[in-house]
Amino acid sequence: MKTQRVRLIAGYIVLLLLLVILAAVNICAGSADISVSRLRSALAEPESDKVAYNIITQLRLPRTAAAAILGGALAVSGFLLQNFFANPIAGPYILGISSGAKLTVALLMVLSLSQGFAVSSLGMIGAAFVGAMMSMGIVLMISGRVKRMSVLIVCGVMIGYICSSVTELVVNFSDDSNIVNLHNWSMGSFSGIVKGEALTAAAVVFPACIAAFLLSKPMNAYQLGESYAVNSGVRIKAFRALLILLSSILSACVTAFAGPVSFVGVAVPHITKSVFGTAKPVRILPACFLGGAVFCLLCDLITRTLFAPTELSISTVTAVFGAPVVVYMLLHRERGRANV
Amino acid sequence: MLKRILLSAAACILLAGCSAKGTAVSKTETPENSLNLEYAKQFTAEYVDNGCTLVTIGEDRYMVVPEGKTAPSDYSDAVVIQQPLECVYNAASSAMDLIDGAGALDRVSMTSTKYEDWCLSSVREAMDSGDISYIGKYSTPDYEALLEMDCGLAIESTMIYHSPEVREQIEALGIPVLVERSSYEKDPLGRMEWIKLYGILFGCEEQAEQLFDEKTKLLGDILTDEKNGKTAAFFYINSSGGVVVRKPSDYVPEMMRMAGGEYIFSNSDLGTDDNALSTMTIQPETFYEKAWDADVLIYNSDIAGSVESISELMEKYPLLSDFTAVKNGDVWCTEKNMFQQTTGAADMIAELHLIFTGEADNKMNFMYRLE
Repeated sequence: MKTQRVRLIAGYIVLLLLLVILAAVNICAGSADISVSRLRSALAEPESDKVAYNIITQLRLPRTAAAAILGGALAVSGFLLQNFFANPIAGPYILGISSGAKLTVALLMVLSLSQGFAVSSLGMIGAAFVGAMMSMGIVLMISGRVKRMSVLIVCGVMIGYICSSVTELVVNFSDDSNIVNLHNWSMGSFSGIVKGEALTAAAVVFPACIAAFLLSKPMNAYQLGESYAVNSGVRIKAFRALLILLSSILSACVTAFAGPVSFVGVAVPHITKSVFGTAKPVRILPACFLGGAVFCLLCDLITRTLFAPTELSISTVTAVFGAPVVVYMLLHRERGRANV
Repeated sequence: MLKRILLSAAACILLAGCSAKGTAVSKTETPENSLNLEYAKQFTAEYVDNGCTLVTIGEDRYMVVPEGKTAPSDYSDAVVIQQPLECVYNAASSAMDLIDGAGALDRVSMTSTKYEDWCLSSVREAMDSGDISYIGKYSTPDYEALLEMDCGLAIESTMIYHSPEVREQIEALGIPVLVERSSYEKDPLGRMEWIKLYGILFGCEEQAEQLFDEKTKLLGDILTDEKNGKTAAFFYINSSGGVVVRKPSDYVPEMMRMAGGEYIFSNSDLGTDDNALSTMTIQPETFYEKAWDADVLIYNSDIAGSVESISELMEKYPLLSDFTAVKNGDVWCTEKNMFQQTTGAADMIAELHLIFTGEADNKMNFMYRLE
């Protein structure tokens, strides 16, 4: 018990330290050549070096904040889904939820570009949420009928394919310029996120994460089985609906602002649970958020600096780090089954 | 002393020899039996036996054979293009204006660009009247339509290199495929000079050369005028927030330089080389760092769509408010015809010149000022 507590405290300290360090590095490093001394003097006297000041405050700061907030949101979304399905591989990307969000955002983008109207951030979140809920509805319907996790995952992948094919259908009848825009967006990026968007993301993500944290107790009971949760007084239907709603809001928010970001929702909760040695929501949920934030800050730093001044898509980097974790989990489960 | 004089004399003779050799080489570069090309580097045309013309584009060789003649046997590797050309399929949108300029638009029957994507009125009219039909994207053309229309030639852009199977399939149907590489020309006038190739293909060389000469004359003193030192950026913001700019060696920056201005980015800024053409996406902060002080900003509406005002642009990129060009009201947006109206390269340079000299109207043919 004592060891567990020490592990927990140490884990949180490390995560917080990493968050601070990576946030600082993200603000200091970039394609523009701004040394630490220049950064310091620009922040102290903005008028003396307005270029550096604006790059730091209007480009790097909102982007760093968005990467941390949205990364945390994705990890929490994945954690909620894993609890819901009692499946460590469940995540918004793998279950096709991100693809659903991508489809509706794509439809909205093509429509807005062809009709010549602009879509607000809230409009994008709304469209992404509708798409996410549609995919989630289908996954829920399937999950009620199948018991095997692998079937559910395959169904999720299939939903992803269906959404992608409908997106392709839309693309088929779109102008070339729409296709280019859609292609750019679908690669995922934290680039171009302005202060207002970072604040909107925070206004959506933080209340959703707090609500998820408040569900820790019933979530804990649910982890021990549905009948145990019912006996503990959990109103299962309302609880499940809330869990799905929160998870969809979080993943929809990420898709709306950064496009589809892969593997964070699966890999981060798993790594966090392994490091902390517990799956108790009350202990692990904030850690998942911090872990997601740290993971996305690191990946975003790589996307911005590896081939500067060009930039990689965020999913390219998250997949490189995240996909091996999923493979490891699948192998680990197989080995576990073989030992039984 | 004598040794020095002798050495100097030897050096002078050597230098004179080299320069004479250089002149001789440049003279033999355009043999008498070849088409005279002033700017284009991506194709050559050599007049051979039987009134035929051997066109070389990159690695590809084409033998343009006049009506009633046969191709000389010495060039068996060349693809035979038999005149008169009728029912041509054009999948290279930038070539359409050149074909039109050469007076051969009526020979084109099929295109891979949809009606709504054309900004050339002559092409739209031809599509309205049913003379030109859309037969699918370049990567998935309607092969049956190509056969049914008895297509005489398929003109493809370099995009076909990404779908080699399409080229193979068209060739398998017995239709010669010409891959036009005008987009590889660094010199904007080189792109325009491809009109001469279409003149040869369609048998209207005179009209093509006449139009080319008229257009280049338009530039008059612009090319020899002293640079006024004004700097300009050419960009758009993509849907994921990146800034898409032209690589410094591309033809658009070259047009700016020809018009007397300076492109804001150098190859070292973007990590590119002299051979890098077209566009690249850079991070918003790189763009801000280099372009905030540019005298002129030109927004490329081709992909991202046109904008009406600077405030509309600032919604996509709020930092623009700090840019010198925005403060001075020197922000321009391109019209849709900028990339399709290939014969307008000289007019475009002239418009850029007006922008750099501060004599431009708010609304021009290829660009308009953002309020």
